Formats: sequence, C-alpha cells, structure tokens
Amino acid sequence: MSPFDEYLHTAIERARMEAHEDGSDAAEAHHLLLAVAGAPEPVAGPVLAAAGLDRAAVAEALHREYEASLAVVGVDLASFDLAPPVRTPLRSIRIGATLKQLLQRSFTTSRKKDLRPAHILLGLLQIEAGTVPRALAIAGVDRAALAADVRRAL
Amino acid sequence: MADADLPAPEDPADALAAVAALRRLADHLEDTAVERAMRAGWGWPQVADALGITRQAVHKKHAKRLIAAGVELRRR
Repeated sequence: MSPFDEYLHTAIERARMEAHEDGSDAAEAHHLLLAVAGAPEPVAGPVLAAAGLDRAAVAEALHREYEASLAVVGVDLASFDLAPPVRTPLRSIRIGATLKQLLQRSFTTSRKKDLRPAHILLGLLQIEAGTVPRALAIAGVDRAALAADVRRAL
Repeated sequence: MADADLPAPEDPADALAAVAALRRLADHLEDTAVERAMRAGWGWPQVADALGITRQAVHKKHAKRLIAAGVELRRR
C-alpha cells in the first residue's frame, strides 16, 4: 500500500467510527470530513486550523446544516425528543452513497501515484452539492479559497 | 410544523437538502420506533406491515443493530 492508500484507509475507518457514534448505519462524506478535521495530517492540518475548522467546529456546522435544512420545510428539530439510536455495530457500517461517490470521483480518476493525504481534504472541498458544502458555508468557509490554500501547501 | 401554508422551497439546493434531512430524521425515528416495537414483543411481519415495507427489508436494516443491543427478537 502507498502512503496515500494507507492514510485513506485510516481516514475511512475513522469515518466509519464517526458514523457508528452518531447512530448512522453508513459512513458518508460528512463523516469523512469529521474524521479529517479530527485527525488532520501535516499538510491539511494548518490549513484547517487557520480556517478554524477543528472537529468540534465541523460537528457544530453539520448540526446547524441539518436543523436549517429541516427548517426549510417547516420542521423544527428541537421539537423532537429523540433518544440516541441504538448503534449499528462498527463492523456493519457501510460506505454510504456520498462517500462512495467522493472516492470514485476524486481518488480513482487522477493519477494515483501523485495523490497525497491532503488530496482527501481537497476532494471534500470540491463536493459541489449536499451536506458537506452546505455545512462548510454555514461555518463561514470559502471552499475555493481553502482548496487553493491546500494546493499551495501540497 | 410551524406553518400550515409554508410554500415549497424555491431554491433547488434547499429543497433537495430538506429531502435529505427529512430522510435522515425519518431514519432516526424509524430506528427508535422499531427498537421500541421489538422490545414490546412485536414480530418482524407486524413491524414490516406497519412501516409499509417488506419483512426482508426491515430485517436487513435493523436486525444486526438490535441483536448487538441485546434486544430479544421474536423469530417470526
């Protein structure tokens, strides 16, 4: 395994752990974002830190995105008294659709030997629709600017 | 629901995000409701009928989770 493959494998395992912990049955792209923010590598780390994106900030933004998206159709998340779900066993956590799509788009098309760990963050920043870009916008992140910072640091 | 006459969201990004968030909320509600039903002695066919999905689907989605949590499951 190349260093990139090794890092990607570790990051996906951490994403599956994030999914397990929030009661999901699948690891999605936003779980990978949490994983990357929670254990940043040397290139992406300082870029994320400069943008104020630690794991807690990402988690907060994701929760606000969930609330805001429900509010669009008049649903108030705070009015639900939801018990934390019984967790899906870690070994049964699937790779969800958004993560699968990210992996296929970002890490199979480009030349594999040129990939470095920070390309995972770059791939996350390049997702154009869905939970990840919406949460990043809520966190006040300019995705294009952050992606440029990552490229410069590579 | 806060508003009876809430208009459908105009921005497609908002509308699609709302659908995704509702699915996630529905999943969470389903997890909790199925767990409660199974703890109360419901069988898979009853839960499946109540949810309007097949028994196979409900079993596939929830069995591992409930077994791991030590919920006693009726065989049928």
